[in-house]
Amino acid sequence: MFLTRFRMNTARTGARRLLSSPQVLHAAVMASFPGLLPTQTAAAPNGPRVLWRIDQNARAEVLLYVVSPEKPDLTHLVEQAGWPAAADPGNPGWQTRPYAPFLDRLAQGQRWAFRLTANPVHDIRRKPDEPRKRTAHITPVHQMGWLLDRQERCGFHVVEKPQSERLLPGGTTYRGHEHHGDRYRLTVGDRRGLAFDKARAEGKRGNRVSLVTVTFDGHLEVTDPVAMRRALAQGIGKAKAYGCGLLTLAPLDGTE
Amino acid sequence: MSVLALRLAGPMQSWGSSARFARRTTESAPTKSGVIGLLAAAAGIERGDDEALATLADGLRFGVRIDQPGSRVRDFQTAHHGVTGASMPLSERFYLADAVFVAAVAGETGLLTRLFGALRAPAYPPFLGRRSCPPAQPVELGLRDGDSLQQALTDEPWQAAAWYRRRHQDEAMVSLTVLREADEDEHDADHQRDQPLSFAAEQRRHALRTVVSRSVNVPNPDVVRQQAGRPRHDPFDALEESV
Repeated sequence: MFLTRFRMNTARTGARRLLSSPQVLHAAVMASFPGLLPTQTAAAPNGPRVLWRIDQNARAEVLLYVVSPEKPDLTHLVEQAGWPAAADPGNPGWQTRPYAPFLDRLAQGQRWAFRLTANPVHDIRRKPDEPRKRTAHITPVHQMGWLLDRQERCGFHVVEKPQSERLLPGGTTYRGHEHHGDRYRLTVGDRRGLAFDKARAEGKRGNRVSLVTVTFDGHLEVTDPVAMRRALAQGIGKAKAYGCGLLTLAPLDGTE
Repeated sequence: MSVLALRLAGPMQSWGSSARFARRTTESAPTKSGVIGLLAAAAGIERGDDEALATLADGLRFGVRIDQPGSRVRDFQTAHHGVTGASMPLSERFYLADAVFVAAVAGETGLLTRLFGALRAPAYPPFLGRRSCPPAQPVELGLRDGDSLQQALTDEPWQAAAWYRRRHQDEAMVSLTVLREADEDEHDADHQRDQPLSFAAEQRRHALRTVVSRSVNVPNPDVVRQQAGRPRHDPFDALEESV
């Protein structure tokens, strides 16, 4: 497993083209793996797969993170959307590090800061005889609830805030519902509604893709290292081809 | 010694110091003659009473803080005589619209206490430079101890209107200009002819006075706490190995 970071040069047309379409960017990420032919399906159903995510930390600090079973070669991304003249053999324009040693070090009880961009959806029907339909969670409370529903399966739980830091009495809203953002060290933000046309296959009409992505930030505690490794390698939730599902961990900054 | 603080806020204000004849300009901040005139009117001092005026004009040091600069409005005025119908001279009159100032006068505590009382029960109603410019709110802010104009004008809360404060809601401190009479050890002073000698109806007379310009930082009560941005998150921090 490898973790790769690439900074986009947002001043370049190539970067704008890549950032404007998750489908184009996914194709570019998948083209980074010499061992992977486009005709192949990306991964075995339960094996590790290529996951990627865009982190925009500032207006011109846009980073692409990729987690992959193989070591990628992002030369084509550097040429289209990086700083090719600044690249040299020692510093090709992206950084890749082995991920497996970190995954092996994960142990029960460890606490980490995490970030996850995900596509929180559920399948609902409004009338009993209606077929179930996939629908996005729109409100932050539901989006947090979506993640909290999955945390045990993914081998972690989101750290709860101490009582002294909560603002709502008993951790509830005025309607009596629990407010996750008040109870947990968890924020949800950067909600984006993506809508784009799938590139037309030959002889077919392009069909419209629309999805809602949000970015979760928070603190977690590892409860099941095996499940946690699986979540880190295989991703969480839907729309993994469109930059969703990649969970990353970072050390807590001393305050905890 | 004390300082009496005033809030000069109204839809229109006009503070002339070099205005002559048919072009009646306004300074961008209240003048000493205008504010002393306002206090003298409140205290009931008659126009020809130069001695009573001198106790105010000479006994008080003057400073003003520009809390909300406002905008300059030009009025092109045509008028005809009410009886004869003869046309009066065409004149241009300038006003400051939507401006707010904090003016302060420093002097003897007894005198300022009397003036403060007079502002609360004025003999003649106060106006902001021209009779047609009434204040929007009570003028008096209160008596402050100490005799430093600079200190009094720094400590006074920001008086700008709500809509103007909202425009600056992302600034924790606002920088305001203070124009005041110079202390003895300040040599960078400018001069302005607005030290009143006589408000007599036949002839108004003014002497020069010093003006120094300083800026003060005043806390903004309406600052919106910037939402803490996304926390820094770099997954590479968790990887010890380097390749």
